[in-house]
Amino acid sequence: MALKVVLVGCGKIADGHIEEIQKMPKRAQVVAVCDRELLMAEQIATRYGVPAYYDDVDRMLAVERPHVVHISTPPGSHVALARAAFQAGCHVFVEKPLALNSVEAAALVADAERFGKKMTIGYTYLFDPVAVQMRELLASGAIGDVVHVDSWFGYNLAGPFGSALLGDANHWVHALPGKLFHNNIDHLLNKLIDFIDDDQPEIQARAWRQRAQTFGDSRDDMPDELRICVHGKRVSAYGTFSSHVKPAAHFVRVYGSKSIMHVDYVSRTVTLDHGATLPSAIGRLVPAFEQAMQYLKQGGRNAAAFARADFHFFSGLNRLAAMFYDSIAEGGPLPISTRDMLRISRWMDQIFGLIGTGGRR
Amino acid sequence: MKILVTGATGFLGGAVVERLLALGERDLRVTARTGARRDRIEAAAARHPDARVEYLPTNLAVPRETAGAVKDVDLVYHLAASMRGAPADMFLNTVVATKHLMESLAGTPAVRLVLCSSFGVYGVAGLPRGSVVDESTPLEPHPERRDVYSQAKLRQERLCRELASKQGTPLVVLRPGVIYGEGGSALSSRVGLNLFGVFLSLGGRNLLPLSYVENCAEAIVRAGQAPTAIGQTYNVHDDDLPTCRAFLAEYRKQVDPLRTIPVPFPVLRLLSRGVEAYHQWSKGQLPAVFTPYKVAALWGGNRFDNRKVKALGWRQLVPTEEGMRRTFAWLRAKAS
Repeated sequence: MALKVVLVGCGKIADGHIEEIQKMPKRAQVVAVCDRELLMAEQIATRYGVPAYYDDVDRMLAVERPHVVHISTPPGSHVALARAAFQAGCHVFVEKPLALNSVEAAALVADAERFGKKMTIGYTYLFDPVAVQMRELLASGAIGDVVHVDSWFGYNLAGPFGSALLGDANHWVHALPGKLFHNNIDHLLNKLIDFIDDDQPEIQARAWRQRAQTFGDSRDDMPDELRICVHGKRVSAYGTFSSHVKPAAHFVRVYGSKSIMHVDYVSRTVTLDHGATLPSAIGRLVPAFEQAMQYLKQGGRNAAAFARADFHFFSGLNRLAAMFYDSIAEGGPLPISTRDMLRISRWMDQIFGLIGTGGRR
Repeated sequence: MKILVTGATGFLGGAVVERLLALGERDLRVTARTGARRDRIEAAAARHPDARVEYLPTNLAVPRETAGAVKDVDLVYHLAASMRGAPADMFLNTVVATKHLMESLAGTPAVRLVLCSSFGVYGVAGLPRGSVVDESTPLEPHPERRDVYSQAKLRQERLCRELASKQGTPLVVLRPGVIYGEGGSALSSRVGLNLFGVFLSLGGRNLLPLSYVENCAEAIVRAGQAPTAIGQTYNVHDDDLPTCRAFLAEYRKQVDPLRTIPVPFPVLRLLSRGVEAYHQWSKGQLPAVFTPYKVAALWGGNRFDNRKVKALGWRQLVPTEEGMRRTFAWLRAKAS
């Protein structure tokens, strides 16, 4: 039997959720959507053929009696909405960031446990095809022991979301403790959790505002460049969030005791750098061809995925949702542990505490 | 009379402000989102030093800001709309913003609202080729099968009518065709689409319902002034309409000798079936840019009738030939 899914919060990311859920009709079906602005719920219901739409969550939960609630509202409302969903007997898929801070995040996790319900979070890139490939290579010992990780997340302030928040001094992002970073660096940090197992590693962070444009209001307080350095017991990491480096890259480099792995989320490629394995000039000549062959193979792999219609933008979201639904239906483990959700939430608190509010030019 | 113009820093909004000032209006409040370029508004105001042009940065999606914008106004020209972006943003900034604006006018039944809608609201996909599109043409029965812009404009217009009827707001609706001019975009999708550096000429011999921006502004301003306009809907386009092919030929001659591939309508229709089938099979791996329904709606080929707006007193201020010359000169200068 397919799970009955409802979605709360009909903003931009809601499209991605509905599109992916509708690709797995045997697992789950979207039966209703909700937004406090009924017109927003109506528009998404119309575009995706969702049978019902509401502007009142409690009423939707009472009428539809769903199994799963997807929450894609601003983070300040996550705790209350998730609690309402748990109380109504639902499992919850909540968009990142989990909450406004780690205290709220812990309360949310506690609620899930109290009501005996499952919860996951939209760490979709952890389930992208390249992330899956990366884990397979790591398990095979391809790079040896991991020493250091470099996680890079580029952001386009001129994109749909960036334009929306720069065009509105009252945009909810400006009220978040970590502002722009708060809404994005889950994607930077969650790639480290496979490598840094510490609950509370040592973290250094620095942020600033690099853009010249000024508005004379709260938007000017929003830093747009962030650098972090994380020291775990065994593995260290750098994190970069950049709004100004173009193109807006998105990758992870994993530095091992045998080789270096480059995982590129934009070109969907995973390559290994073995360095020079042959002597002298030959040793400098061969690696470029070896790299070229790896990219050729990855390109072919992507082309094959495209040919079988398995090369979608939200592949990670699809895989995560499917694993979450299977975990509900079959009683298996969660795709993302609540410990990892809470660790990232605490790291974010620490980073926002270190960078303070406002930036510098 | 205090007049509010929303979306005043936009391509059409700026022209409406200029036209209002040229026609002697002296008390304007103009709104746009914070950060919008307002040089054109400031230049227009500088040409009329006796006029008061109050610039009020406003996000119409925020009800309290909208309430401030309509305070003490006697007439509203509502031009603000989202032309592109994520679907949620387009609905928020077009439909929800309009709801807030209409609700802000609920206590002032004497204030007329002139809404700038679009040709995109017509349900022309099912019409035979060559059908005349006028104000009596049925609205789109399947908005979900059209592009998001058309969906949002359709919902905006419907909402406006519902609220106007409920709260007694005098409403005039204008549906412009393809607005063009200096500051506008180069080639409408009715003419064709750029695909990987090659321009697909899709409009062929279809008439292009052009509305030069000054001519369009003139119609909008008239609709706010004429007592008989209340409760009416007007299609807005110029008289001497070129075919898409002729417009493209002039563009290539005067602006950019694009590499073009003419795609006949039957071929386009066939292609669209393939695109739609692939989109469905691949579960949206590539966007359904062409579907048979969209193709029929946009490139099916219609004729147009602007007699109603003429009866309102509108006249074409700038002939199409001159409008195209000015537009292409501006585009040429921009490109260089």
